Formats: sequence, structure tokens, C-alpha cells
Amino acid sequence: MNEEIRATQAAMERCGYVAEPVIATAVFLAKEMQRPLLVEGEAGVGKTEIAKVLARMLGTELVRLQCYEGLDANTALYEWNYQKQLLRLKIAERERDSTGHEARDPEKLEQLIFGREYLLERPLLRAIARREGPAVLLVDEIDRADEGFEAFLLEVLSDFQITIPELGTIRAEHVPFVVLTSNRTREIGDALRRRCLYLYVEHPDFDKELRILHGKVPGLDERLARAVTRFVQRLRGRELRKLPGVAETIDWARALARLHRHALDAETVAATLGCLLKDEQDVKATGQQAIAELVAYASGEG
Amino acid sequence: MSRAPGMAAQLAKFALALRKEGVRAGLADEIDAAAALSLVDLLDRAEVHRALRIAFKVPREAWDAFDRLFAQHWDGGGDERPKPRQVPPRDHRGPVQWRWDGERVRLATAETEEPPSGDRPGYSPEPLLRRKPFDELSQRELAEMERLLARLALRLATRRSRRLVPTRGRGVVDLRRSFRGALASDGDFLRLARRARPVEEPRLVVLYDTSGSMDPYARLLLTFAFALRRAMKRVEIFAFNTRLVRVTRMVVPAAIPKALERLAAEVPDWSGGTRIGACLAEFVAQFGQSMIDRNTTVVCVSDGLDQGDSALLERSMRALRERAGRIVWLNPLLGDPRYRPEAAGMRAALPFVDHFGAAHNLESLEGLMRLAA
Repeated sequence: MNEEIRATQAAMERCGYVAEPVIATAVFLAKEMQRPLLVEGEAGVGKTEIAKVLARMLGTELVRLQCYEGLDANTALYEWNYQKQLLRLKIAERERDSTGHEARDPEKLEQLIFGREYLLERPLLRAIARREGPAVLLVDEIDRADEGFEAFLLEVLSDFQITIPELGTIRAEHVPFVVLTSNRTREIGDALRRRCLYLYVEHPDFDKELRILHGKVPGLDERLARAVTRFVQRLRGRELRKLPGVAETIDWARALARLHRHALDAETVAATLGCLLKDEQDVKATGQQAIAELVAYASGEG
Repeated sequence: MSRAPGMAAQLAKFALALRKEGVRAGLADEIDAAAALSLVDLLDRAEVHRALRIAFKVPREAWDAFDRLFAQHWDGGGDERPKPRQVPPRDHRGPVQWRWDGERVRLATAETEEPPSGDRPGYSPEPLLRRKPFDELSQRELAEMERLLARLALRLATRRSRRLVPTRGRGVVDLRRSFRGALASDGDFLRLARRARPVEEPRLVVLYDTSGSMDPYARLLLTFAFALRRAMKRVEIFAFNTRLVRVTRMVVPAAIPKALERLAAEVPDWSGGTRIGACLAEFVAQFGQSMIDRNTTVVCVSDGLDQGDSALLERSMRALRERAGRIVWLNPLLGDPRYRPEAAGMRAALPFVDHFGAAHNLESLEGLMRLAA
């Protein structure tokens, strides 16, 4: 393995993220090639976490743009601070009245109120205009925004510059490190996909999940941790509509630790199953017998 | 690290092989791959594998194909690799031929060579055509029908977007533009600018039953799907009987008879039995995530004569119901007044269907359009 990739992996690990080689490789390549990283995978596999860890690792700011249906360029880029602008106008008016000056010069007024200090930075502008060094820009759940926004984003990610009609063009001094995540509720356009490097994150295997668990729930009983992990791993093999992610595993382990359990038993599992399964039908489909089997399997280890 | 000679050539060959498997890999991706390879340890097979998968942007579904090709190209398997699966040639995706027929621009197809209006005097095709069952249409009537269908398909295409665009009429106040306007009048808002939701094309997924019992209707209903494909950008078409096949790409620019032939070759058991439940389940598993959302109308064209497990059909329909905006089930048998939806498959599917309609002639399809409007 390349030394630098190994170093990336170690650095991510130090920041509390258990990174498989493939994740470390993707992060390293994206950083070196200065390309956005598109991360796909099921909910709860830790896609968003990658960006957060990256920001911590690079000691920089995490700028987050949460996408949703109807998100438009204004909300993502910048907005003028209207209240402040209006106030400034009223002051200008009063000044004029008191001095008796009759100069009504809209251009002057415009210059006055369309300055940088009246500009509200939204995430994209914030990430690009940051002076102190490259930010980490997280575009979360890009699949929720519509295609028009995707095209717009592609443009921003290609040029890393934003034009504000009243101010002119703002160019990125430091190209931000961009992470896009998608839950694949719809397919991401080909152009944007091509612009990025692509990482697909899967549910962690037993060893990785166990390590994550130990990292996130300090002081967790080793035997319980193993049983919890085995249980969840096995549970993911069942036909469920929403598979529990790592976040759910952590929640569950915390709940069990809080209840001072040292081993799994069917009763406790049934009572706390809501930590893992967030879908009513999934809960129903995991009845007593299924739980008993799962518990037996999870505790079956020496 | 020294560059292995011929790396570029090897990458190009690899990209070509990927494309043959249906994985999109363009020149830009080759360049990315080359850049990525220059950054990793070339002696570490696993790392090269990871880097290439990242740089070629290989989606999860294509990992198997990628792994196979990677093994062939990077493990010295070289040239004696087995011949790739026989894939029928893709449609020629170059410039499509359009023709102006005096009323609208239409795609030039082999069978529309003869003039669209009849040579018999006084022949007015439309009212007759509207009621004539699809399985009784002549070649020329088919051409005429295609025109009607395309017109209908266009009408299906109106939905409002959630994004806001400037409007002169009603809508929410657009502060940014209002403010700009107010500047000219010293900060007094004489007129408020507004924004409203523009009309947007809906997304459509057509699932098309090609089993034996559907044969008489195959041609026209597919024509309808083709017409939709032409009128709307976001249409996906699948054919199913005992297996599910995505045919969207196949049907794009081709003349219909040719496409039908190709479909018959591509779809296993064309005109065979049906396992609707299993096919829908496959659709939901493979494409449900990426193709179905709240703006999607799913149109299932089938007679509901399922030879499979109707519990599975019910589960799949439930899953579709949860994701899709609307589910329409078109059943050609419904045109027969004696028909009752009593087949087990149909009964299982019906509770999840928003609109259950006939599809044996144009009039019945028009009903669908009214529904969509």
C-alpha cells in the first residue's frame, strides 16, 4: 500500500473514523487530484461522517449544504441582508433631508448597499470565499435536490467561482475539498458523476463495526460489544425494509450499556429493538422467535 | 515510482472492455484513472483495483462486471479472455432523423413512408381509430395511431416543480428582485416581484408485460411507450414476463418493428408465461431507489395473469406504493365488458393501484391522460 494512503488511513483513524483501505484511498485520491468525492451508499453507513472527519483531520472548517427538494441557487449561494440594506437607505434618506441636499443618485445608493458587508454568505459562497485556507464543503443528500440544481452545482464545482451581479466575480483562493453524499433516491446525473471521484460505502463488516463501537462507546463491555455486533450483522442479513446502520448499532449499544446489561437476552432485545429498527413493519417482522434465534446466534460465540 | 510502459494503452483497452459491459467509461475517466494510478502503489493489486474503481466511477451494480474485467486485464489473463456475452447491437444513437409532415415534426420511420392521410376519399381516421381495438389495426392505421399517441403523450407532461421562478402573476414575494425594483424609487416598494412554481415534466416508469396473453396489444402499447419516450425526457421502459429487462435504451430512435424484433430477441420468453410478482420485486430491488420518487408515475401494463406467487406480487406492489407518486395499472382485458379482475395476481395488485384502466384502444388511453392532467 502506498505510504500516503496508509498515512491518510491512520489520520482518519486518529480523528475517530475507522476507514477501510478503499475509503482512505478515495479520500487520498480526491485530495491529491483536487476532485470532489461523490459518496453513495445506504443510509447509516457513515457517508456524512467522512466529510466531518476530513474537516477535523485537515483542521479546517466544515461548510455544510443540506439539499432538499426545491433548493435553489439563492439559498445555496448568497442572499442580501435586506433589513440592513433598508435601514441604510432610510438613514441615507434622513441625511439627505437634514442637509437639504436634493441629489437623488440611485447609482450612489446602490454602491452603498450592495457591498460585501450587506452580503449573507450561504454555504457555497462561504466555502469558496474562505480566505484562511481550503474548507471542506459537504453537499449532503444531493439526490434530494432537483436536476436543475445539480447542473448549477456542476458549474460551481468546475470553476470554483461565483458571480454576483452587484459585486462581480468571486474566485476561490483555495479550492475547497468537496464531499457529496447521495442516498440514491434518484440517479445522479452523469455529468456530475463524471466530475467527481466515486466511492460506494457498504455496511461495515464485523471487525470494523466492532472497532467503531469501541471507539464511539468507551468503556463498553467487550463481550457485550461482540454480541451486539454479531446481532446487528446477522440482522442485516434478514429481509428488512430499512437495514440498521452503524449509527443505530451505536445507539443500541449505548442504550444497553445504560441499562447495565452485560449480555443480550431476548427480553431486553425486544424492549430495545426500536433503537435498531425504525420501521414498524420491520419491527413486526422481527418477532419473538426471530429475536430468540438472533440472540442465540449473537451469544453463541465463546 | 516508474510508469509502466503502455499504461495508457492498457487503460484504454480496459475502458473499452468496460464500455462493452455497459459500464460508462469515457476518455475523461481514462484520464482520471491514469492520474489515480500515478498516485498509488502499482505493485499492490488491491490498491490498483480500488483506485480504478474510484476513478472510473463504477456504480455498485457494476462491481461484478468490473471485478471480472479487472481480473482479466490486470492478472495477465490478457487476450485469451472469453468472448463477451452476445449483446445485440445498441441502437444507433447519432442524430435522429426528423421529418416535418405538415403538422408536426416526427421521427422518420420505415413504415411511415406512405402519406399519413388516407388515399380513400372522405376517410376520416380519427373517430374510428379511437375505438378500434389495437389488435385489429392495419399498418397504415398504426402510423396514424402513432401520431395520436404522441399527442396524448405530450399532454401527460404537466406537473409543477418545487423550485420557484420569477412570474408576473401570483406567487410568493421575491425579496431580492423586489428590493432591486425598490431602489429606483428610493427604497419604496411600489411593486413586489414574485416567484412561483414552474411546470415540470413528471417522471414516468412503464412496466410492460410481454407474455403470450398480451400479444395482440404488444405493438400499440409499446408504440405508446415509444411516443412517451419521445415526448418526455424522463421515461423508463421495462419489459417483463419471467424476467425483467430494461428496454429504455433499445427503444429510443428505432423504427418500431425493428425494435419489437430486437425486444423479442432480448427478452427471454417473449410471448411466454408471466411471473409478475418476481419481476416487480426485481424492479423494486434494482431500480426502485434510483428511479422512483414522489414525482414518478408508475404505469404497469399487464393483464394480471400471474403464474407466480401472488404474495410476492403484493409485497412488491406495497414497496412501489410507498415510493411512487402514482400507480396506474392498464389492463387490455378491461375493454371486454364481461371481464372481472379476478385473476389472483390482479386481485393482489389492485389495492395499491391509484388508477385501474383499460388499454385496448385509444379511447381508453385518453382516459389515462385526463387522469394525469
